[in-house]
Amino acid sequence: MIQTILNALSLGGTYALASLGLGLVFGVMRLVNFAYSELITIAAYTLVMTNQLPIMVSFLFSVVVTSLAAVLMELLIYRRLRGAAPAIMLVASFGLSKLLQQVYELCFGALPRSASIAPWMSGELKFAGVSITNASLITAILTIVLLLAMRYLLNKTSFGIQLKAASADFRTARLLGVRANHLISLAFVMSGVLAAFVGAILVVGNPQVEPMFGMNMTILALVGIVIGGISSLPGSALGGFIVGVILSLLNTWLGNGRVYSYSWLFAAVFIILLVRPGGLLSKGQEMERV
Amino acid sequence: MSLGFVAEGLSKSFGALEVLNNVSLTIKPGETVGLLGPNGAGKTTLINILTGYEHADLGSITLDGQSLNKLPTHTRAHNGLARTFQSGRLFSQLTVAENIALGALSVGVSSKVAEKRTKDILGILEIADLAENRANAISHGNARLVGLARAVVAEPKYLIMDEPAAGINEHESPILLAALKTVGKTLGCGMLLVEHNVQLVIDFSSRIIVLATGNLIYDGTPEQALSDPAVKSAYLGEMSLNITNVSH
Repeated sequence: MIQTILNALSLGGTYALASLGLGLVFGVMRLVNFAYSELITIAAYTLVMTNQLPIMVSFLFSVVVTSLAAVLMELLIYRRLRGAAPAIMLVASFGLSKLLQQVYELCFGALPRSASIAPWMSGELKFAGVSITNASLITAILTIVLLLAMRYLLNKTSFGIQLKAASADFRTARLLGVRANHLISLAFVMSGVLAAFVGAILVVGNPQVEPMFGMNMTILALVGIVIGGISSLPGSALGGFIVGVILSLLNTWLGNGRVYSYSWLFAAVFIILLVRPGGLLSKGQEMERV
Repeated sequence: MSLGFVAEGLSKSFGALEVLNNVSLTIKPGETVGLLGPNGAGKTTLINILTGYEHADLGSITLDGQSLNKLPTHTRAHNGLARTFQSGRLFSQLTVAENIALGALSVGVSSKVAEKRTKDILGILEIADLAENRANAISHGNARLVGLARAVVAEPKYLIMDEPAAGINEHESPILLAALKTVGKTLGCGMLLVEHNVQLVIDFSSRIIVLATGNLIYDGTPEQALSDPAVKSAYLGEMSLNITNVSH
């Protein structure tokens, strides 16, 4: 039971990080960045391809590459489309996602690339009769530390307050003087850093990296954002966490019926949205004539 | 360099609808100017153009001699232009203190200075007890004061206020007027008050301009505005107003 709960919290935390990474960019650009999936994937590929290096060096390298990829995404594609209709931005992010998948396929092949990432992570700790894998424990600790760090960043720093304001109402934030380019670039960097962590957590559990490696996580993280409240960063994290916990518990409880996990998950999502159509932490927005 | 917030020859049309026609106005440093006009006169469009939210078809805007024409909204704020909003536009996820501090942080003030300014303005406006409340948990009148405080902590050179008295009751109106006068005195910045509450505008402003159907029809003292035939015809009608207590 404890193992089940820890696994659920661990997966919930991972989804929370992914949803937060997506939510950061959505907040400042109102952009559903489907290419976030490819940031997770490039993080995983980097870890696999630099496997011969010490794990911390390899991981830092992955963080740098992923953040850089996120910034380039913003500078080369999304900045040029800023102000375009939401549908155009959405199609652009789809297009970028597919394009990057093809690039990965060209560079790394269509078949999975694998490597043994930190094999000691698959070991187990036994405590009071309970077995816990090192990976579950480290993932749980890592996500808690990261979420606390993000909480501090968002609540206690100038950048965080400006980012939260811009996420809730970007136009008003700009009228107050919030620097758009600066804030958006930083949001992409943070989104990239979170994608690197998510990619690392995923690749430790499943070191078979292929061009669509991050897709499943990204789609469910988007579901988490919708559940939590699309304009709320704490809501994004909470929504992602809920999705991860529900999915993990369903996978355990359904046993052989786990193939229906997603059906039950989306049933739960529909119920949540029926009760709170704007998401769990959404706030009604007042319309004004500005 | 000419000091002042100067708009010259602003014109704006939405399709065939002409909203502003060759409107010019000047706010000198430290001056309090009231902007009156009936609904549809073009007041909001004028504010939106002045703050960069919309762009004029024709005309120019300068702030202390520097052209603002091509500058985006946030850069105008960094150059010393602040505004309040009709509905407060507070950020509901933030506390009252965070909302106010944001006004300073967003124009590059350090966290420490922003915190001090926030504490000071909370005291000046006598709303310090609201500091830790969520912005969506305070009254409409207090939200107006918080919106004003948020603009003030940026220490702007010029402050534009969009109907700060809209929706507040007659008991809150004198409190708002006192707050506006305190802010004007403390900051010494040029202020443009856009308001339907004519009495509040007269009590607050040293000069009044009046817009009607996109045209500027009056620019002068509050006293003369009350007897100006064009102003009476377009906006005031037979409104009874008290100008005996005017103290600017």
